[in-house]
Amino acid sequence: MELIKLADYLWEIPKTGAMRVPGRVYASAKMIEGMREDPCLTQVANVACLPGIVGYSLAMPDIHWGYGFPIGGVAAVDAREGVISPGGVGYDINCGVRLARTNLHFNVVEPRINQVADALFAKIPAGVGSWGAIPGLSIEQLKEVAAEGAKWALRNGYATERDLEHTEEGGMLAGADPDRVSERAYKRGSKQLGTLGSGNHFLEVSRVDEIYDSKLADALGLELGQVTVLIHSGSRGLGHQTCDDYLKVIGAAMARYGINLPDRQLAAVPISSPEGQAYLGAMAAAANFAWCNRQVMMHLAQQAFMQALSITPRELGFELVYDVCHNIAKFEEHSVDGHKRLVCVHRKGATRAFGPGHPALPEALRPLGQPVLVPGDMGRYSFVLVGLETAMRETFGSSCHGAGRLMSRVRAKREAGSRDLRAELKALGVTVRAHSRAGVAEEMPHAYKDVAEVVEVMEAARITRRVARLKPFAVVKG
Amino acid sequence: MPTKPTAPQVEDAALFREFEHTGDLGIELDAPTRGELFRRAAIALAALLVESASVAEIEQRQVAVEAETDPDLMHDMLTELLALFAVDGFIWRDASVTEAGRSLHVTLRGESFDPARHAFRGEIKAVTYHQLTVENSPGGWRSRVIFDV
Repeated sequence: MELIKLADYLWEIPKTGAMRVPGRVYASAKMIEGMREDPCLTQVANVACLPGIVGYSLAMPDIHWGYGFPIGGVAAVDAREGVISPGGVGYDINCGVRLARTNLHFNVVEPRINQVADALFAKIPAGVGSWGAIPGLSIEQLKEVAAEGAKWALRNGYATERDLEHTEEGGMLAGADPDRVSERAYKRGSKQLGTLGSGNHFLEVSRVDEIYDSKLADALGLELGQVTVLIHSGSRGLGHQTCDDYLKVIGAAMARYGINLPDRQLAAVPISSPEGQAYLGAMAAAANFAWCNRQVMMHLAQQAFMQALSITPRELGFELVYDVCHNIAKFEEHSVDGHKRLVCVHRKGATRAFGPGHPALPEALRPLGQPVLVPGDMGRYSFVLVGLETAMRETFGSSCHGAGRLMSRVRAKREAGSRDLRAELKALGVTVRAHSRAGVAEEMPHAYKDVAEVVEVMEAARITRRVARLKPFAVVKG
Repeated sequence: MPTKPTAPQVEDAALFREFEHTGDLGIELDAPTRGELFRRAAIALAALLVESASVAEIEQRQVAVEAETDPDLMHDMLTELLALFAVDGFIWRDASVTEAGRSLHVTLRGESFDPARHAFRGEIKAVTYHQLTVENSPGGWRSRVIFDV
């Protein structure tokens, strides 16, 4: 794969073969060497073949081998002439992260972290073989969730108006069509509202251990030593099934539209086609389920803290800082070749990162730029960033979404061997509660890149600015 | 004409290999016959979800799938079985497969999933089409499947 170095942190894959645009990869020289051994750069080139793609097929520094799209890929297609690709969103539609802050200091919570971790582990189901936090939801109720997203949580006592204001899209993506979601998808999701899931999903209790920009940190209500909660989860089985259902429909329809792509998992149809419109309605419905899911989990986390520490809501002061999604396709206006254009931005393992002043941001956050939440691994740290104006010009308002895997799951389990990873993490000051030992092994800290290097690249490229670093001291895994 | 159900032939441990995939979970399977390949894939999926040794063969479930190509048949069979676990809460220890042209009839032997008794290994979100293969060669049948986890 030919790569042209454009800057210390930016590389170009020249347009060749069926590519309609060049690829652009944000990475350090060291990261690029690692990527050469991984199929992810070929996947960046494959995405560049999508009909209607504009600008570049982009890759964030946490890019790694996905299925079809690379994880960490961004592609904007013309809203009228372009295609929609379910693989460019992924199975976990609106997988995302939310950060809540508290009034509590690390010194108060740390001595009682076992009680807090136990309460969180007990309150928030993993969602496998057990009922969700809200049992017995009928398909009609699930359709309401799919239509309303976090607003359903508000109506049912799991959210505040303020929570919705601090959620991307207000926690409800427009255009949801609950009737486009299959019965099987609803059945898979029926026991899973308010559940974490497994894999790389987690709930993390952290403390703010570094402030990079005190004005921005103040504005986001973050201060040194403060206890925060980070929740990473998505649309659960409802989203997974929706993606699967539409890959089949769209894979079968592609030939009718004369679309040929190098990887079947990239299956795409014109946005304007009946299949494309049906998928977009179902995708938005699944995205709404995900926002409601994270909102309900935040509510459960609040209850767990109050119960474990015997404190009132006022003493706890649980407030949402922001909620971002990192697997989604959205219609946004961006400047392409100097002209404003409506595009559909596919973000597969990438976070929206709108710069200051963007009208999509809530009034309170608009002067700051959009908060971007970037989890690391469970032994090191996570970051709070904000989007910068450059992101609007260079990355369709997008940034990284995590550390990115370094090791395969097989290798991580092999390297974990008979090690007692929970004891090792405890020695690092991290209390772990998990349903599966293999899950902890696959997610061990050194299976991931150092997220600090990832956010440094984004800052060097002036896509995002660091605000604060969060250090975990308890992690709950499904 | 339907073939006879494929009988168990090897121990579970030898049924499949996990291969290196940065983000997700890939498996590779070999089998002497096409039917046995699908049977091993069915058992492999259950073994990836739950520690097989903890599952008792108490009930049977039947699943039928039909598809134009063998990779589609593999994808669709595994997707149906994943739904059987995710929606109906059924987990199996063994399977047999009957081939009939472009169709497969799968019989699963297992029980209802009980998180208190069954050691859960981790969720599988979906069976992907990425690099999905089912191939026949003089040495036998081989398949590669990548799961999103």
